[in-house]
Amino acid sequence: MKAVKGKYYFGGIHPRGMKELSANAALDVLSVDEVAISTHQSAGKPAITVVKAGQSVKCGELIAQADGDISSNVFASISGTVKEIKDVDGEEHIFITSDKSDATKFLPPLTDPDADEIRQRIKDCGIVGLGGAGFPTAVKVSTDKPVDTLIVNGAECEPYLTCDYRLMIEKTEEIAKGARYIAKALGVKKIIIGIESNKPDAVRAFEAFEDIQPVILRKQYPAGGEKQIIYTTTGRRLGIKKLPADVGVIVQNVGTCFAVYEAIENGKPLIERALTVSGKAVKEPKNLWVKVGTPVRDIVEYCGGESLTPKKVVTGGPMTGNAVASYDVYTRKTTSGVLLLSEKEAAAEQPTPCINCGKCADVCPMHLMPMNTAFYSAAGDFESAEKYGNATSCIECGACEYVCPAKRPLIQAIRKTKAELKKNDNKPVEVHDVAGKTLEEIDGKPVEEAAPENLKPEKEENNG
Amino acid sequence: MDNTIVVSTPPHVKSRRTTRGIMIDVCIALLPSVIAGCVFFGWQALMIILMSVFACVATEFVYFFIQNKGFSKKCADAKAVCLRFVKQFDFTSVVTGLLLALILPTTDKWYEVFYEVLIGGIFSIAVVKMFFGGTGKNIVNPAAAGRAFMFISFSITTYTAAKISALDFTSGVFSDATNLSWLLNSTGNPETKATVLDLFLGTGIAGCIGETCKAAILAGYVYLAVRGVIKWWQPLLFIAVFGFTAVFMSGFTYVKSGGYIFDMELFLPHVLSGGVLFGAIFMFTDYTTSPKGIYGQIFYYVIGAVLVAVLRYFTKLEVTSFVILLMNLVVPLIDKYFIRKPFGYKKAKKEGK
Repeated sequence: MKAVKGKYYFGGIHPRGMKELSANAALDVLSVDEVAISTHQSAGKPAITVVKAGQSVKCGELIAQADGDISSNVFASISGTVKEIKDVDGEEHIFITSDKSDATKFLPPLTDPDADEIRQRIKDCGIVGLGGAGFPTAVKVSTDKPVDTLIVNGAECEPYLTCDYRLMIEKTEEIAKGARYIAKALGVKKIIIGIESNKPDAVRAFEAFEDIQPVILRKQYPAGGEKQIIYTTTGRRLGIKKLPADVGVIVQNVGTCFAVYEAIENGKPLIERALTVSGKAVKEPKNLWVKVGTPVRDIVEYCGGESLTPKKVVTGGPMTGNAVASYDVYTRKTTSGVLLLSEKEAAAEQPTPCINCGKCADVCPMHLMPMNTAFYSAAGDFESAEKYGNATSCIECGACEYVCPAKRPLIQAIRKTKAELKKNDNKPVEVHDVAGKTLEEIDGKPVEEAAPENLKPEKEENNG
Repeated sequence: MDNTIVVSTPPHVKSRRTTRGIMIDVCIALLPSVIAGCVFFGWQALMIILMSVFACVATEFVYFFIQNKGFSKKCADAKAVCLRFVKQFDFTSVVTGLLLALILPTTDKWYEVFYEVLIGGIFSIAVVKMFFGGTGKNIVNPAAAGRAFMFISFSITTYTAAKISALDFTSGVFSDATNLSWLLNSTGNPETKATVLDLFLGTGIAGCIGETCKAAILAGYVYLAVRGVIKWWQPLLFIAVFGFTAVFMSGFTYVKSGGYIFDMELFLPHVLSGGVLFGAIFMFTDYTTSPKGIYGQIFYYVIGAVLVAVLRYFTKLEVTSFVILLMNLVVPLIDKYFIRKPFGYKKAKKEGK
């Protein structure tokens, strides 16, 4: 279908794209000798390990079972032996040493599946949203709310990252098929793919399909934010604390669509993903197919090592990813990039006083006022921080901090505010008696009985 | 230090724009006005500008030096404190100095008024800015406050002493008399009134150093808007609202003398007279003392423009800098009442009902 232009939303920034570093590198397969797979690969609880040290596993074999609805299954990404199971940074990691064989243990492929089969397969294969949050796709496609549109998110608005772009031009057909399977599971007819205007090749590739509507999004970070892409492609405004299904929309990343295709047509669980290695400090920026659990050290070595001393090593995108302290970390299902940022690129300046320029509020895609949140949270007044800055609605896209001329740590302040507010929400209300004792100290007696003699309610006197 | 990998919260890339860069941009935008002032008023104007900038920067330095204990231990740390000052220097005091000088009238004998300029600069930086916490913490615009301070402190003496006195604020406005007083009072000889072109270029017009040449001010506006330092619509909104209100107000006078009540021919003379354009572009848009949210900004500019027009009509004086001070004081209130609602807020409310 012919591409149409997306709507404009108020806010957003235009960061230096830096996509040219890796945009022309075709997806390459990286093979590894050892992987360490975290059992916590989704937004929910960690999965429960079902293998023991010393056990031999095949590629695609279940190694950790989902625990609860928002958890996801975890699979061995290479065939070999389970070396050990230990905690790394507070998360259980399963170390697997490769036996250099291609032994696989995939599920049987499905031909012409119905909606229930698709949903079950997505759940069995442990597919999570590959955009970053890692919300299980199975939960999203099992919604009982009326949904009429599937939005495929191909915006890839983060600077540096190009893996979704490569995926879109190399695996166009497969993504389209995966999207159709998801649409079938949801029972929707309309499929929209939102692509940022800096990827005209990808738009052209998707114009070939009759049942998919490509929408060209303005180059406006975060064009691929869930609320933003729903608004720019369909014009629906997603309210605060609402799910996309509440406005009849489901959003899926292109990577997720490809994973769904693989799961259904090849029976392949989610064991590898496309990933971008980029930054000025890496010798050869590349796009790679990387097994879940690959050490970052191996990835960097495969790309020729460092060309400059990196100032920051980031897993994920530069705007929302995590800075890591060493190369001894392992990729996850949701890791979309490994970036080695040189001193020039990385933001490591000292903050200067806020000059109230209001640029953070101008660029906020959620129309918040981050400077107020930062101001009040620094003073410890988290309720005012919420009242004047609406911190809980923040999507943590990082646009405000990117644009801040004073280099203030706004996202840190917002996260702190969110955490403090959450703490206050969960805290049981403490009841104090007049002596300042908490209720628990009074041995479970009702307050009236435990209160000192002179402060007991004077019912009888009033009646008399 | 070089080999350490930095860990921080995202985002890991940031824009290259800094506070210092923005302030240097403002200085560059003020350069055309400085040059125009020097061309029209000679080297005396340049001396006033230099003195004002010197006073502001020196005050900030001395304040910083004392605050960081540069004098302790018999000045042992003096060098380190000086280096730290240079490192954190963000050009805000240069901007204040330039703004203060550009809204002052000039004189034939600069040395007669130099102490006045110095005191004005010291007041602007020390009392208005540094006492309140330095950059970004001042409540009112330092340059506007400095001008108001000088107006109250020195004008009366200089005005009565010599008629062509330099820092004669009342005449600073009324030396514009051929034009502004004609506009406001509809008195004076209409034949001597300046043409719109004269007003625009500043030729043959008396006035403050930076406020006369409107072409130079507009050049600065274009630079600031292109560089994204100010929002392009802010001064335009101010000027439009001001112009219409001023035309409307002067209509009352004109009807008595047989003119039209809404004579749009007066729009340009009103806008181009006095310091309105300069104030709208360089003073009202000051980050620290203007509202943060977009709705608050619209409110601020509209009310400010109406106030300038109305007060100028009734007082027959140049009131722009006083209105700036007045509006600056209201800004914290505006910020409190104009809070932006998050994206999708309305929808959520409707569904809740």
